[in-house]
Amino acid sequence: MRSLKILLIEDDTIEVMKFNRVVDSLSLRHEVQISQNAEEALKYLNENDTLPDLILLDLNMPKINGLEFLKLLKNDARLRYMPTVILTTSNNQRDLKQCYKLGIGGYLLKPLKYEDYISKIEKLLAYWSINELIKV
Amino acid sequence: MVDEIQILKRALERERFSRKAAEEILEEKSAELYEAKRKLEESHNELLKLYGNASSQLQGVFENIVDPYVIMDLWGNPLKMNDAAIDLLDYEEANKKDSLLQFVNPEDLEIVTAAFKTLITKGSLTGFKLQLVTAKRLKKYVHINCSIIYEDGVAVAAQGVLRDITEEINYQKRIEGEREKYMNIINNMNLGLLEVNIKDEVLFVNQRFCKISGYSKEELLGKQAGELIPLSNDKETIKQENANRLLGESNSYEIKVLTKSGELRNWLISGAPNYNLKGEVIGSIGIHLDITDFRLLQSEKEKLLIELEKSNEELNEYAHIVSHDLKSPLRSINALISWIKEDNKDSFDHSTIKNFDLIEATLEKMEQLISNLLDYSSIGENNIEREMVDTNQLIKDLKKVLYVPKHITVHIKDTLPTVYADRIKLQQLFQNLISNAVKFNNKNKGVIEIGCEEQKERYQFSVSDNGIGIDPKYHEKIFKIFQSLSDDKESSGIGLSIVKKVVDLHSGKIWLESELDKGSTFYFTMKK
Repeated sequence: MRSLKILLIEDDTIEVMKFNRVVDSLSLRHEVQISQNAEEALKYLNENDTLPDLILLDLNMPKINGLEFLKLLKNDARLRYMPTVILTTSNNQRDLKQCYKLGIGGYLLKPLKYEDYISKIEKLLAYWSINELIKV
Repeated sequence: MVDEIQILKRALERERFSRKAAEEILEEKSAELYEAKRKLEESHNELLKLYGNASSQLQGVFENIVDPYVIMDLWGNPLKMNDAAIDLLDYEEANKKDSLLQFVNPEDLEIVTAAFKTLITKGSLTGFKLQLVTAKRLKKYVHINCSIIYEDGVAVAAQGVLRDITEEINYQKRIEGEREKYMNIINNMNLGLLEVNIKDEVLFVNQRFCKISGYSKEELLGKQAGELIPLSNDKETIKQENANRLLGESNSYEIKVLTKSGELRNWLISGAPNYNLKGEVIGSIGIHLDITDFRLLQSEKEKLLIELEKSNEELNEYAHIVSHDLKSPLRSINALISWIKEDNKDSFDHSTIKNFDLIEATLEKMEQLISNLLDYSSIGENNIEREMVDTNQLIKDLKKVLYVPKHITVHIKDTLPTVYADRIKLQQLFQNLISNAVKFNNKNKGVIEIGCEEQKERYQFSVSDNGIGIDPKYHEKIFKIFQSLSDDKESSGIGLSIVKKVVDLHSGKIWLESELDKGSTFYFTMKK
């Protein structure tokens, strides 16, 4: 098990709080970077030499939406290998298909109940902590 | 004296001699006369014989003549007529005292009078036509050739040969009538008709053609039709088509034309070669239909369809976004509440905790509502993907997924058919019906039965339960959206409206039979 460097792209403050709260409660110390929108995330990725181990991406965002961001990522030689997990409310079949077509590391539906959310995030992070990750 | 005697003697002698000579001559002459008389008698007999033959021959001709033959005096009274004439006029039933004028159609009396004058002055009349009315009141057209009979140079009577030309006249009238009828059709039909010769010169146009082209008949006749009306691109088309006509080919094609007023129109033309009696192509006949409005409507329809598809897509997209936007705050509230509860675990009293639980339950119901709404809007998507679905297998699979409490059994009563339907939507239909039956069952031993009856053109499915039943006054209402009959937080009132939508999408019908506290049976049909 290894601690991860996580980039969460999420514009909703409470969602960010929820995520931070779950991460804080875990014994494994992960490093969380928050970007409120896609532009901010791109700026962060381009300005930092070390890339995050995992991106958690909300699909529904203003300006550049999640799908467009994913497309940009996959077309970038440096950024394309970062595992990206979708964290969204939308179970729109078309979105799901589009995401898999572009290439994603997972697709998580945000549950209503906070307890369910805790359980999902814990499992997600646990899984990626035991994964071998590519470092470019 | 002697001399006197001598003279007298000689005179007597001469007289005697000449008398003798005269007697001889007389004798001779009378013999000749006799001979002549005999010969005359002979020839007279001969003549009589001949005359007898001739008149009996004539009599035969007269009686046996096929055409009606009439002899009348100059006042029109019949002197003699043959059987054919009697038949023609139904003369047996006529008033025989009256003249033949009784048979003339009153409207024709004037021309008969005029014809009679011509007959008297010229002695004969041919090709005279008039209408008769027979004794049986039948109207007949006749053709008459007649002449005057003279006796010692004086006109005494008239004879005439008649021919019944009623059939012929009627036939001509019918042909004329038909011609008029077709001309009327051609002139008034909603199709433009154009006839051209092999040089593409206009021979005939009907009114409609003038109307749709904007040109008058006079402006078109003799002109080159293919040069006048089509757009430049389509002039070639006309040339090609005219060439096809020469080969005896007919077909339909579309061209763009400019009317006289410069308006652009679309025409559909059906062209066929025109032949003369010898079977040679002498030109072509084209039927022209202005399909501009039709084309316009068609393209408008296509545009509308595309727009509709787009707006449907947008609506669906919109439903997803709205549901996302509505659900996000609910999630946040839920998280905030659990944090408040967690942070104040020790300070909150029992009723506050209970109220927080109620808030959470309300949030759940709210979320369910939004999900159902989204489901309902996605069910309405036009893309219904039909395939052969084995409903037996579908229900078996559903039973594995659905939550069914132990005291309720779901039983497949009949062997269910394979139908041509949208699998996912059909599954949703059964899922909603079965979960309703499960949800509203208040019996110790709940029984849900799924059956199907095969009918002539459709299958009639049934899902029945022994649950709480539905009051008949709600039977219509329950299929409407958001019409939930229960206060249960689980029921949003959308399940049955989805069921109805799916049935509607498959052109079926849905209804129910139910008795309060005994149970309900939902029926729906699906075409084979």
